[in-house]
Amino acid sequence: MAVSFSRRIRSLAPVLVLLALCLVIASTNSNFLSVSNLIRLLSAAAIPLVLVMGATFVILMGSIDLSVEGVVALAAVAASMLVANDFTSLDLGFVALPAAMLLGGLLGLANGLLHVRLAIPSFMTTLGIGFACVGVATAILGGFTVRISDRTFRELTLGRLFDVPYSVWVAGLCVLVAWIIQERTRIGRWVYAIGTDEHTARQVGVPVERTRILVFALAGVFYGLGGAMSASQLGQGHALLSQGRLFTTITAVVVGGTALSGGVGSVLNSVVGVLVVIVLANGMVLMGIEPFVQQGVQGLLIILAVSLALDRSRLAVVK
Amino acid sequence: MSVLEVRNATKRFPGVVALDDASIRVDRNEVVGLIGENGAGKSTLLKVLTGIYRLDEGEVRVNDGVIELTSPRDAFDHGVAMVFQEQSVIGTLSVAENIFLGREGEFIKGGLIDRGRMNEAARVELAKVHLDIDPAIRTEELSFAQRQMVEIAKALSLDSRIEGDIVILLDEPTSVLEKREVDLLFEIIRDLKDRAAIVFISHRLDEVLAISDRIYVLRNGAVVHETPATDATVTELHGHMVGRSLHHEYYREQRQSGAGERCVLEVKGLGRTGAFEDVSFALREGEVLGIAGVVGSGREALARCLAGLLPPERGEILIDGQPARLDSPARAVGHGVGFVPSERKAEGIVTGMSVCENVTLASLADFVRNGFIRRGDERAATQGWIERLSIRTPSGRTPIASLSGGNQQKVVLAKWRVAGSRIVILDHPTRGIDVGAKEDVYELVRDMTGEGLCVLLLADTLEEVIGLSSRIIVMRDGRVSATFDSPPGGKPNQVDLVRAMV
Amino acid sequence: METFREYLPPVVLVLLVLAVGAIEPGFLAVDNLLTVTADTMTLFLMASGATFVIMMGGIDLSIQGVASMTSCIVAALLPELGFAAVPVALFAGAASGLLCGIVSTRLRIPSFIASLAISGIVTTVAYWASDTRSVLIAAGDRDSFLAWAVGDTGPLQNEILVGLVALLLLGLLLNGTPFGRYVRAIGSQERAVVASGIPVERVKILAFTLSGLMAGLAGVVMAGRLGSGSPTLANEFLLPAIACIIVGGTAITGGVGSIFRTFIGALTIAVVRIGMTFVGVSVFAQQIVFGLILVLAVAITMDRSKVTTVK
Repeated sequence: MAVSFSRRIRSLAPVLVLLALCLVIASTNSNFLSVSNLIRLLSAAAIPLVLVMGATFVILMGSIDLSVEGVVALAAVAASMLVANDFTSLDLGFVALPAAMLLGGLLGLANGLLHVRLAIPSFMTTLGIGFACVGVATAILGGFTVRISDRTFRELTLGRLFDVPYSVWVAGLCVLVAWIIQERTRIGRWVYAIGTDEHTARQVGVPVERTRILVFALAGVFYGLGGAMSASQLGQGHALLSQGRLFTTITAVVVGGTALSGGVGSVLNSVVGVLVVIVLANGMVLMGIEPFVQQGVQGLLIILAVSLALDRSRLAVVK
Repeated sequence: MSVLEVRNATKRFPGVVALDDASIRVDRNEVVGLIGENGAGKSTLLKVLTGIYRLDEGEVRVNDGVIELTSPRDAFDHGVAMVFQEQSVIGTLSVAENIFLGREGEFIKGGLIDRGRMNEAARVELAKVHLDIDPAIRTEELSFAQRQMVEIAKALSLDSRIEGDIVILLDEPTSVLEKREVDLLFEIIRDLKDRAAIVFISHRLDEVLAISDRIYVLRNGAVVHETPATDATVTELHGHMVGRSLHHEYYREQRQSGAGERCVLEVKGLGRTGAFEDVSFALREGEVLGIAGVVGSGREALARCLAGLLPPERGEILIDGQPARLDSPARAVGHGVGFVPSERKAEGIVTGMSVCENVTLASLADFVRNGFIRRGDERAATQGWIERLSIRTPSGRTPIASLSGGNQQKVVLAKWRVAGSRIVILDHPTRGIDVGAKEDVYELVRDMTGEGLCVLLLADTLEEVIGLSSRIIVMRDGRVSATFDSPPGGKPNQVDLVRAMV
Repeated sequence: METFREYLPPVVLVLLVLAVGAIEPGFLAVDNLLTVTADTMTLFLMASGATFVIMMGGIDLSIQGVASMTSCIVAALLPELGFAAVPVALFAGAASGLLCGIVSTRLRIPSFIASLAISGIVTTVAYWASDTRSVLIAAGDRDSFLAWAVGDTGPLQNEILVGLVALLLLGLLLNGTPFGRYVRAIGSQERAVVASGIPVERVKILAFTLSGLMAGLAGVVMAGRLGSGSPTLANEFLLPAIACIIVGGTAITGGVGSIFRTFIGALTIAVVRIGMTFVGVSVFAQQIVFGLILVLAVAITMDRSKVTTVK
């Protein structure tokens, strides 16, 4: 079973990369392993973790979701306008959280419906929806920023339990939920079936269309939550607050070892992927590298990870 | 009582009758063998039985009721389960998940799948096929034979879940199994006869004879023979499979040219793991070399290899006596190889373009001056070939998609003639085109060899390969199993060829 | 269907122009129409090269990043290099397109993800070139080195001339050369083109390079118009650029399309935008309308016979 062996090595690669990265950074910078830096790392990883939970399912189906930034921005703006703020007179407190998730879910549903019902490639529909969301967020605020004055809402991410911010616990909960969905529900299993072999899945009676739509909606719910968390963390909502999130999300998913061709990977892989991206960013900061270099490094990471992980035998024509 | 019955089934495709008033019956506790040459209608029949095709005429009866099968899942729910040749288990899911994929309902508790119960239930089904594996492991970890057993177990899971009997369709189940595994499969099939009716489709006639109770022979879409297995012999079945011969004239045998002096293509010890091994032959100018073999014999891979689409791993290719590396289609074309693929619509023609653009596609550089395409030259050249090959098209500007299959195929031939190819590989050149156009293609093959080109032919039928070729090599399991000379008037016998093929 | 596809976009454009003119007669004044056209040319330039990629059935999501990058490069280098800053910027654009093509073909990475990755890299280059801020172009530099792009020639704005030259050259390239023919053939039926012995990878890489070059040119012209370069200068241009390709009638599935259609598409997008503003549609709703137009245009122009499973 030589194939299986090399696949196992490959599936371990992201973890090895993470460990190697930690070792290198720790050896050059003693601050890296300090408790405060580790908590800073986890805190930085929280929102990306929530976002990749959604994106992983979409990518496992062999699709892609480019609407992350738009949905997160719009959800964040919506959440910040529902809690006590300086833009509207509302003060609905924690209602903002389910509301943002619902909004995200609806936008995801729109992604899924347009993609499946009109049979348009997902990168196209999600690109359209994503841009429209950013546009709407910009237009609602007219370029302004909403400032949140609701202290308890801000506690949602900033408050601490055992010295670890709530946002990290929330992210942990999301990982758990996503993992249960992946392992123990029909949708979760069908995602793998569709991503591995949509034709066969259809033949044995898996409701492929319905599953696709639901998965995009599910991803939207996670983005919605991520949006609310961003608003809570920053204490404000504006249209550009999610800039760079799409990049981090996709990098994390592919670096974690989930294949863009679908069927291979898991939400746990994506957890590792997020940590790789965050540790790398943190390391670069510690080493005094300009923050803008990160996007470029992430771009290189995407290329590297995808080209190492892609099962080329399955692709006859690459578009 | 019949478990499955097909009555007077007819299925037509443009230009072809794939099933022609065919009737078969499968009784309870019976293994029925289904044999026939490539294109005899076996796969169409299977697709009808699994709800992929709908019949034009005739009916399908399952457990004595007429049923309109709408999809493989629908067929499955009615008790007709197919074990596909190209397996349909999903590697990234566990054995148990594969067995119950799409039917997880009974294991759902509180919205979650009860894996313990699902694995338990899977174990029960696996026991029926004597497969002692952990139902929780991923199917990609299993061997091919084990995956096949999982598919059979999946079919058997219907046993306790539907009323009536189940039918298991096994499509070439032994083609990639070792001898030991085949024996095991047969043991299980005999065992299963108590629970299910079985249809066994294979080109290995000895196996069909060994396992079946009754055998149907299909030819040209019709059932031409039905016999209890005990009364049949391999030779007799061969005879029924191939049928009568057509007249010599049909293949323009009188125009068959003798081999020239010059050896154009020589292949020595060519091999590619999992496809073909140790293939050697020489091709002279003016010759048509036929390659016969069943699906999986390696001949398709060999053709694609010489076209540069599937590089060989071992061996040598000589063109005009010089070593040639054909590791890309561009290289192959540069060496004068032209490939007429079997999937015409996917690889032969560019569907969105005109006849003219297709004709000049492989030789566009010849029509360029100062960087720009000279459309006048292009059109004139195309017009010439349209006339020479009598391609029926309003003009060169007509979209190729609007031409008939036969005329599209002539355009593909014209493309290689314009490009000056000297070695033309014809992979099923007459597949899916009507009778008149077939004769035109035969005529064109003779024209080409008459002009000194050489042709490598993978024919649709045995008749065709015998009729057209000047020499035939037969491939079996990736190796050359026999070579026949095929001069006009001294054509080899179909039964001899079949014997070397299976 | 084909004729419908070919003539519908120009007809729609004319009708839209007339409709907007009916609401706001001043819109139809020649001066105004010329200004609208000039304003649209950067969008057209950005979309023109990407049209080749989309016609092959691929996509280039890096064009806005590339345009931003070249705006930074040209703005940063003008004071030192003078006019030579322009070819340097264009070269950078072409190089990023080349890289994108190589990554997509040689590493066999789907173009949407390859170009997304490249856009990250070029954004970093943009930040580096601009030192993370917006770089102003001195009026003198602009007048002496970028006048070819932003000045006037007689009654015409130079943007229009640059756009027309691009339209002509790229049109010739697409319709008159083997390269253009191969691009269309690849989008139509790639496997058949491969089997015909065409060096498909080389054609693809060239198309991506062209896309990068044109996006780079768009960035330079934008920098000239705005008098500055910035790493986020062309943000929000990606979607409209793809929209004008698709609205013009080029199919996302490849094989069908032309540069002229993209030209028409760009003008259509511009007129729709102006029309909505005249009618008083809020900016809020405009974004949704654009999203819908894009999705609908994709749905209409797509060739469904070519895709078995839509992912």
